[in-house]
Amino acid sequence: MTNQLPILLFLTPFVAGVAMPLLTAKRPGWCRPVTLGTVALLLFLALLNLVHVLTYGPMEYALGGWAAPLGIAWLNDSLAAMLILTVAFVAQVTLLYGYQVTSPGLERSMAYYALVLMLLTGLIGIVFAADLFNLFVFLEVAALAAYALAGAAGGKSAVFAFRYLLLGSLGAALYLLGVGHLYVATGTLNMADLAIRIPGLLSSTAVASGLIYIFLGLSIKMALLPLHGWLPDAYRNAPNAVTPLLAATITKISLAAWVRIEHSLILPGIEVGAVPVLVLLEELGVIAALAGGALALVQTDIKRMFAYAGIGHVGLILVGVSLGNATGFAGGMAYLINDAVMQVALFMIAGALLHLHGVRTLDELRAMQTPSPWLTGSLLVVAIGMVGLPPTGGFFGKWNIVLGALEAEHYLAAFSVLASTLLTLGFFIKVFACWFHAAAADAPAPPEMTAPLSTALGLTAIAIVGLGVFSDPIFHLLVGFASGGGG
Amino acid sequence: MIHAHDSVIVRTLGRILIPVAQLYGCYVIVFGQYGPGGGFVGGVVLAASMILAILIFGQDADDSWLARVALHGDGLGLLIFAGVGGLCLIGGGQFLNYAHLQVPGLDEPARRSLGILATQIGVALDVAVTGISISISLSSEDEDEDEDDSDGEVSHA
Repeated sequence: MTNQLPILLFLTPFVAGVAMPLLTAKRPGWCRPVTLGTVALLLFLALLNLVHVLTYGPMEYALGGWAAPLGIAWLNDSLAAMLILTVAFVAQVTLLYGYQVTSPGLERSMAYYALVLMLLTGLIGIVFAADLFNLFVFLEVAALAAYALAGAAGGKSAVFAFRYLLLGSLGAALYLLGVGHLYVATGTLNMADLAIRIPGLLSSTAVASGLIYIFLGLSIKMALLPLHGWLPDAYRNAPNAVTPLLAATITKISLAAWVRIEHSLILPGIEVGAVPVLVLLEELGVIAALAGGALALVQTDIKRMFAYAGIGHVGLILVGVSLGNATGFAGGMAYLINDAVMQVALFMIAGALLHLHGVRTLDELRAMQTPSPWLTGSLLVVAIGMVGLPPTGGFFGKWNIVLGALEAEHYLAAFSVLASTLLTLGFFIKVFACWFHAAAADAPAPPEMTAPLSTALGLTAIAIVGLGVFSDPIFHLLVGFASGGGG
Repeated sequence: MIHAHDSVIVRTLGRILIPVAQLYGCYVIVFGQYGPGGGFVGGVVLAASMILAILIFGQDADDSWLARVALHGDGLGLLIFAGVGGLCLIGGGQFLNYAHLQVPGLDEPARRSLGILATQIGVALDVAVTGISISISLSSEDEDEDEDDSDGEVSHA
């Protein structure tokens, strides 16, 4: 039965999400336990899958029994297994956290839980897909759930969710256009098959433009800097219980999808004019990392600040994976996993501040009552992780990106990692300056923090440190993946 | 809220056209495995026939009872789809590998035929329900009762 793990991972949230309206039409109280149970099962299966992949190596899953170039195949390798475990963990933590922080009305809404499960379904599909069109379908499943979740609070959030929908659909359309170009030029959609045929066809304009369209489409989805317009406002206005999940998954998994395409289709030697494509991608990453960090520094709204920090880190990861060597790739992907966990923690803190203290901006932060030690502690751990100090996973990710950049002798890339670290440190200093100043006696006392909320904060802090402690096996696994072993 | 249309011509034509459209929808679903057609197209035709019934006879009329019943089947189609696929897993094959459906007394081609038909019915059901719920959501003015967007988006998967 273990060779059915990919589909079981997919079916778990899918069936629960689809059955949610039928199950809970008469018993709205069931939504939450059913969802929590489903995601717990998902987490267990993801762990099992990781162990299975590590033991038996990567495997291909042929849906319907039709083998790869003809049918639709899923690739279950070490990268996919780790990403799925990350997604499941992030979802479980967000749901725990949502117990206290859900906006009124959302708590009992069946649609919210069904959408979260549909989002997970789409994300798992994206991670497994080894077929460009299949990837598109799951990108859309995940994106549609994300649009609806981002607008779930109604009012202003719906406006920004609509903008997200328009831009996201533009991204999807560009991606599909690119897939069309590649299909016309090569006659196949399977990534492994494309990887064989594309190197001989690179002089073709259709292939080159197809790859550019795919990159542009996914850039919108991953909020790479010039195309990030939808993200800050959508995240700022989305319900507190939704933002952490969206921030940790949508951009990161879209980036992971691009990494899969880049890793299999764009070989280090490919050039446009006299400039290697990978270097171009790397420069785009450098710009995003620096500008994202700088934009985060000038924000006064806490959620927007964290959103820009996430945008900067997407650039950083793109730098890592585009260096063209295994060290940089492994560093980038390790940082991607870390960043997912750190983003979830950041937005949980921002949401808890808003929910418990009514704080949205830095000025309000200065004027609030001393926050709970759970919040302070967890913010400290995240800050250490985001800045990249040794005990956390963030350090090892950044360290390997820098090592990879030095190995490739791309000093600009190495500089951008260090500069973005400084920028991150800068905005955290701004937050902490207000945070520890907060001791206003006249502010109303915040409501009690319940156990699920502190558990969620504690779990992410443990995960951030744990990813640092176990960074060595993770790194070796990713190096093995990058050098072609696949797992 | 959609009210009944008052033209005799429209109502009479509707009474003739709707059953034909529904029959054609069923034909397209069943024929899908041998030629152009299938669950999605058949589902759209079925949905169109029921939307037509709503537009002509009104949302609350006895004649559009089928559309109202169908609304409760939200997600049922996808469950059929996933269920057939899951039965293949139990038989030891991959998801949707109909050759592994455990149906006693059927050989492999018959199993594949049965499997794809059941899957298509699931898809058709879901597409039809989604179509109807979209048109009813669009026509509901201020009452925000229809929150079934959770299933609408996955019907193309």
